[in-house]
Amino acid sequence: MTEHTQNPLDHPEVQLANGRAYLVGFIFSMLLMTAGLWLAVTHIMAPFGTVLVTSILAGMVVIIQGYFILHMDISHAQMWHTVAMVLFLPLFVVTIGLTAWMFHGLYQRTMIMPPATSSMAHMPPMSH
Amino acid sequence: MSASAAQKVDPAQATLWARHYAGHDMIGTRTFGFWLYMLTDAMVYAALFASLGVLSHAVNLAGGPSPSAFINPIYAYGETITLFLSVLIYGYSMVALKNGNRGAVIGSMFVAMLLGIVYLVIAGVDIGNMFAHGIFPQVSGFLSIFFTIIIYHALHILVGVVWMLVMMVQIAREGFSANVIYRLINLRLFWHFQAVIWVFVFTFVYLQGMVA
Repeated sequence: MTEHTQNPLDHPEVQLANGRAYLVGFIFSMLLMTAGLWLAVTHIMAPFGTVLVTSILAGMVVIIQGYFILHMDISHAQMWHTVAMVLFLPLFVVTIGLTAWMFHGLYQRTMIMPPATSSMAHMPPMSH
Repeated sequence: MSASAAQKVDPAQATLWARHYAGHDMIGTRTFGFWLYMLTDAMVYAALFASLGVLSHAVNLAGGPSPSAFINPIYAYGETITLFLSVLIYGYSMVALKNGNRGAVIGSMFVAMLLGIVYLVIAGVDIGNMFAHGIFPQVSGFLSIFFTIIIYHALHILVGVVWMLVMMVQIAREGFSANVIYRLINLRLFWHFQAVIWVFVFTFVYLQGMVA
């Protein structure tokens, strides 16, 4: 019954609060997300390049927020939170990656493409 | 769990199992359980983003508008600013908790809650504008997943706002008891996690929708 014998404010998960880290996380998150918005609004790059760079920016922001704001580190207090998060990562990759891959193939094999998106739009229809 | 937060795990000294009962750490157990719950919530988001990837394909527009035709990034950027600011100020509330300052905890949590409400107002105006232009979830498969994601995220913010209101009352009534402390840490995990999810919503729904 540790909660009766020690001050709960001394718990390591209370003591890890760090105002400077939260401020650093906020500033870098805002800067990188603003850069992503600027890329998307100005269309300064080709669409594929914008998608790629905004995805990389999002990945950087998530890592920054994970470290500075969610305290995903290998300290004693947070070790198992980090381990649990890392063990979930393959599940995210499988859920999103395999679904996207599977449906990408399915669309090509089964769907009638709208004229603008089909690479064979300029060809005459196949005769049977 | 009495080791300091900054102390690193040394692989050479790490013990794989405890030889003695270390005592029941109620706060640590409950926050870890809640973190596992937040990760399952992230799995729901993973399923939603997988659906977004599938339904973003042009065949799912079903004659409806493409996202680049109607997305206004000003609203989404306003939501980004308010949510990230709210997360920052909730962080300051946790710094005040560390110092045992009850007034500062409640005060900064109130500001964080107000920013959460501003977020909800911006999201409401954005969705209302789309509805006013005939952009409804039932128009196409793409719009279904588009509205599902942004409304599911807005519901999380609503839950966070209500939770902050409840915690301000509990702090005022009970002070910093062990029960209040673990709930405040769980709310920190919940609220800070919403900012991480918003990074994905902002990037993959709004920004990449604009260039699609």
